[in-house]
Amino acid sequence: MKCSSAFRYFATASALIVVGNANADSSGKWQNSQEIYNKVCAYCHEANVGPVITGRNLMPDYIKSVVRNGNRAMPAFRESEINEAALAGVVKLVSTSTAVAKK
Amino acid sequence: MTTKRKALPKGIAAGEFDKAIKELKTILGGENVVVDESRLAPYNKIMMPVPNEQHAPSAAITPDSVEQIQSVLKVLNKYKIPVYPISTGKNLGYGSAAPVQRGQIVMDLRRMNKIISVDPDLCTALVEPGVTYQQLYDYLQEKKLPLWFSCPAPSAIAGPLGNMVDRGVGYTPYGEHFLFSCGMEVVMANSEVLRTGMGSMPNSNTWQVFKWGYGPTLDGIFTQSNYGIVTKMGMWLMPAPPDFRPFSIQYPEETDITKIVEALRPLRIAMVIPNAVVIAHALWEAPCTPVKRADYYTGPGAIPDEAVARIRKDHNIGAWNVYAALYGTKETNDANWKIIEAVAAGTGGKIVTRENSTSKALDYRFDLMKGKPNLGEFGLYNWRGGGGSIWFAPVSQAKGSETLKQMKMAKDILAKYGFDYVGEFIVGWRDMHHVIDLLYDRSDEEQTRKANACYDELLHTFAKEGYGMYRANTAFAEKVAATYGPVKRSVEKKLKKALDPNNILAPGRCGISL
Repeated sequence: MKCSSAFRYFATASALIVVGNANADSSGKWQNSQEIYNKVCAYCHEANVGPVITGRNLMPDYIKSVVRNGNRAMPAFRESEINEAALAGVVKLVSTSTAVAKK
Repeated sequence: MTTKRKALPKGIAAGEFDKAIKELKTILGGENVVVDESRLAPYNKIMMPVPNEQHAPSAAITPDSVEQIQSVLKVLNKYKIPVYPISTGKNLGYGSAAPVQRGQIVMDLRRMNKIISVDPDLCTALVEPGVTYQQLYDYLQEKKLPLWFSCPAPSAIAGPLGNMVDRGVGYTPYGEHFLFSCGMEVVMANSEVLRTGMGSMPNSNTWQVFKWGYGPTLDGIFTQSNYGIVTKMGMWLMPAPPDFRPFSIQYPEETDITKIVEALRPLRIAMVIPNAVVIAHALWEAPCTPVKRADYYTGPGAIPDEAVARIRKDHNIGAWNVYAALYGTKETNDANWKIIEAVAAGTGGKIVTRENSTSKALDYRFDLMKGKPNLGEFGLYNWRGGGGSIWFAPVSQAKGSETLKQMKMAKDILAKYGFDYVGEFIVGWRDMHHVIDLLYDRSDEEQTRKANACYDELLHTFAKEGYGMYRANTAFAEKVAATYGPVKRSVEKKLKKALDPNNILAPGRCGISL
């Protein structure tokens, strides 16, 4: 829990950071399907909140439909958040995944 | 699903609508103007106890610049078509991404997601509407900047600008998000671009550090309103403290809320505890632990107190569970920790830290108190299942007697309709946001009808006692606005007439319309 270097850091930090065309995740562009899975799906589906979705051979059309329409408590995700190409990648990742060990 | 007819903006003929859509496509490109019903589906997923049709959009547009928004507004003014701007479009249980009124075009700003600047010396950031908390978190991690932000509980997929303009709250010392915003850029209905505070001045470099500027401070009128489209927001970031010490204190009785609040208020006001303390009821804690309701109760109506007692015993949950943290150096936290220990001992509370708990609820709460986004609180939605949720969120004084009174009032009304009291108090500075998740099964028509009636009774019973909402869902916007009396509404309407004479910006939002 400790971040003992924090105050020292501020003594030396300087310069306004302006974001250019960074390739990093914070660019706001998904780097790959795994990143989407980790930073959207996994927060619920690997955290005892939503059901596990990997390793179940879920049908691609079903996954896509649930993502776009939501399902009961699951929110719907818009194309502006996860576009069609990105969603296709996530669908492939999930539908062909092997089961993860239950935590 | 009462009708299959496609939604159109109120009073707009299909031919006029089509003409407007054609012009919008010229500005934005065809792929950024969505009218196909299947592609609009994500904009109509709501958790509120009203029919989806009531909040069905006619279209969604996704501009990616201020210039595009300006051009779009010219078209919408010409045709007098209303638009409903969203940022990351979450606001689950408050209306999600759906428009406040059927037929409005959703203006989805999610593609405008640049983190424009972060100043590590002044600890400020300037972000666009589509930036998510996850994205900002990643940015700070990648740059190895020891800066924290405050985020709401379901935060990973939501964003700071949208949350701030709805006056959401979080759990760090910067938990009152509007208070820690600094400077906005707003596109007005007539396409003028306003920068609030110091941002109005050419060449100013103090936009993100001084809120007020000269003359009236305008920022407030762009929160919980429809007077402009906020396209940039400055926010203050908190230096990560050298020592962060989160803790929970569990209390055994519901009536303990009185002494908890009396004991904690002085510590909060004096900033010994600097963050937004949460006092979570057992039934908020249980779903996030996680506990299954059906394992303890499957009968009709609200869960009985004796079942709650069994849950608490089996899962080591307090009737109330306080979450707070110390932020400082080891030396200051060591000193303040003694105060916390004394307060807990003096009030009959049991201190819980990560070392002596395996609860998932504790994990997500501790992460939230250092601004680490997660979605752990979605565990709430498994309590009743069925995807129904509306937040009933009255403001309370931070006085023990008031909190107990509000809790009892809410619990009685909820039970009358068969719903559980799933509530928490979030301590502001002198106020408390009393947040209750009215959870119901939205796939069950009777529960949905009862949830609607229950919210209505809660709202009006609380209003009679002088308790108003801090925030409300779009389906009840008009009724909530009415509880604040006629003069405020009249002034709001005059502002609307002056700033948006064609009533094209989210008419009906927070009860404001011409």
